[in-house]
Amino acid sequence: MSQFKNILTLSFRDYSHEWRMSGCFVLALASVLAPMMILFGLKFGIVSSMVNELVENPSNREIKAIGSGSYSEDWLNRFAERKEVAFLIPKTRALAATIQLKSKSAGRIFSTELLATAQGDPLLKTVATTPRGYHSVILSEEIANKLNVKKGDVIDGSLARQFRGKRERVHIDLKVLDIAPSHTVSRKVAFVSLDLLLATESFKDGRAVSQLGWQGQQQSQQQREYPSFRLYARSIYEVKGLVAALDKEGVNVKANLEQINTVQSIDQNLTIIFWIIACVGAVGFSFSLGASLWANVDRKHKELSILRLVGFQGGKIILFPVLQSMYTAILGWLLAVLIYLMAEQSINQILAPNLRIDRVICYLLPEHFFWALGLTLSVAAGAAILGGVRASRIEPSDGLREI
Amino acid sequence: MSVVYSLKNVVKSRLVDKAGFRLQVPSIEIKQQENIALVGHSGCGKSTLLDILALALHPDSQDEFLLTPKDQESQDVGFLWKKKKQNKLSKIRKQHIGYVLQQGGLLPYLTVRENIELPRRLMNLPQDDSTRSLARVMGIHRQLDKLPGLLSAGERQRVAFTRALSHRPSILLADEPTASLDPITARKIMAVVMELVKGLNITMITASHDWAHVYKMDLRVLKQEAEVVEDGHVYQSTFTD
Repeated sequence: MSQFKNILTLSFRDYSHEWRMSGCFVLALASVLAPMMILFGLKFGIVSSMVNELVENPSNREIKAIGSGSYSEDWLNRFAERKEVAFLIPKTRALAATIQLKSKSAGRIFSTELLATAQGDPLLKTVATTPRGYHSVILSEEIANKLNVKKGDVIDGSLARQFRGKRERVHIDLKVLDIAPSHTVSRKVAFVSLDLLLATESFKDGRAVSQLGWQGQQQSQQQREYPSFRLYARSIYEVKGLVAALDKEGVNVKANLEQINTVQSIDQNLTIIFWIIACVGAVGFSFSLGASLWANVDRKHKELSILRLVGFQGGKIILFPVLQSMYTAILGWLLAVLIYLMAEQSINQILAPNLRIDRVICYLLPEHFFWALGLTLSVAAGAAILGGVRASRIEPSDGLREI
Repeated sequence: MSVVYSLKNVVKSRLVDKAGFRLQVPSIEIKQQENIALVGHSGCGKSTLLDILALALHPDSQDEFLLTPKDQESQDVGFLWKKKKQNKLSKIRKQHIGYVLQQGGLLPYLTVRENIELPRRLMNLPQDDSTRSLARVMGIHRQLDKLPGLLSAGERQRVAFTRALSHRPSILLADEPTASLDPITARKIMAVVMELVKGLNITMITASHDWAHVYKMDLRVLKQEAEVVEDGHVYQSTFTD
């Protein structure tokens, strides 16, 4: 133990005494490691996130029913429970699912499509809240701009029907909970709770909605049937299977399968390319680090002989170059991280605005930094142990005459 | 006086394609507190023999190689080498032998004091005043906090002697310790060392190519003969009592 402490002190003293040489080793390591980290940062930033974005884009994951059918609530609930399904919500008849919206700050009334939504709606991923009850709505950016409203405003929604020969119109106050950005929903849409959507359908069909005080025929107790639904797979990889499953149930659907295939092959090819580059980089890095550390052991030969001569045991002598390699590895890694972080900042600041994407191009997760440290330490230790074992085998007399 | 080193038919060759150098020691006995000189011209195997005596070099073969440090039991060095007991050899070397190299062999990254105290630290000896008093005797007490690179050649050799003696070994080996010094400095240093060696009851073996110097110091000289054998391919050097 005390020999270990002695070796620790001695190796550090030697390392700092030769700070110029040590600095060169550290620089050499950092100059190989930093570009590799930047490459990984770019791969992770650009490829992973952009491909992910493509992969996760809701429209690529949507499965649309063709024409109008009749789907019971039971069937929809059952299907929604499949693990490939990310989101499933019923739709009412298209004609019934429109509402006239009016705001104090806009002169016109706009007829707007109503979509039922709920927690986890892929179209509203960027929106934190979900409409509940009968008096809240999330507007798409397009209709919000036309109405000239913002989050928190209250607007007027109205529905009209012909009932028992008379034209009737009801009004309802709707609080704008949030605005859905145009890149997720690019048409005029008002997202509401399923309850409100069903209430508008009931009203238009001439039935009463007691919760809102709307008159009409009494609601029948039989189970509701829906003509259509909005369905999203968990990822594009599950779309194919879901389409097949729906086919089997006799539901005629269409999905963006061609685009999915393209995205998938881009994803795979880019991943392969980056793995090739990464592997070549890692091998090159190992060799360059290994070579310089091995050379260092050779250079230390005579001083190691002196240590052997004053009585250090062979096995302990291995520690000397190994510890010094560890110092190099840790300092080189720190420097590389520093260089990487600066590069990351500049890349993101310079390039991000040009590419018009709202996420960073180059970034690494904390665990990536530790992988880099782990790789560096193991390569360094491996190279130094190989050299150190050689050093420990030489007889103490071998290097004595050189010093 | 008891015998410290007893060597019989120790051989060490450095041959490449059956040509080169061979050291032979038919029989040497070195007694406690003897002062021995290995004298011969460069390349005659003095350093090789010293390395063997320092347990730093593996002989090719031996009939007997016993080392008996002062007040200790005999160690069969030949057997330890054969069994590759490197750690045991390290331990004996660490405890009983001080070795001075021609160029000092100081570690450049440690101060003079740390260099001197290194053998003591390895043996877990206390860092007491002995370093300072030894350094004062050797005339380097003002250099203790300097790095070896700042010292003159003479000062470095003084430090090397001080380091070799710091852990109070019973055997001191010195390989041409004054070869790179001017004669006056060399004589001064050796005079101090001889005095210390006598005072501390140390067995000293020193290698030198300087005959005149050795005879003045009253050392027992081991006989050395050289011949060329095996059709002129092998230069064979023999040391005897």
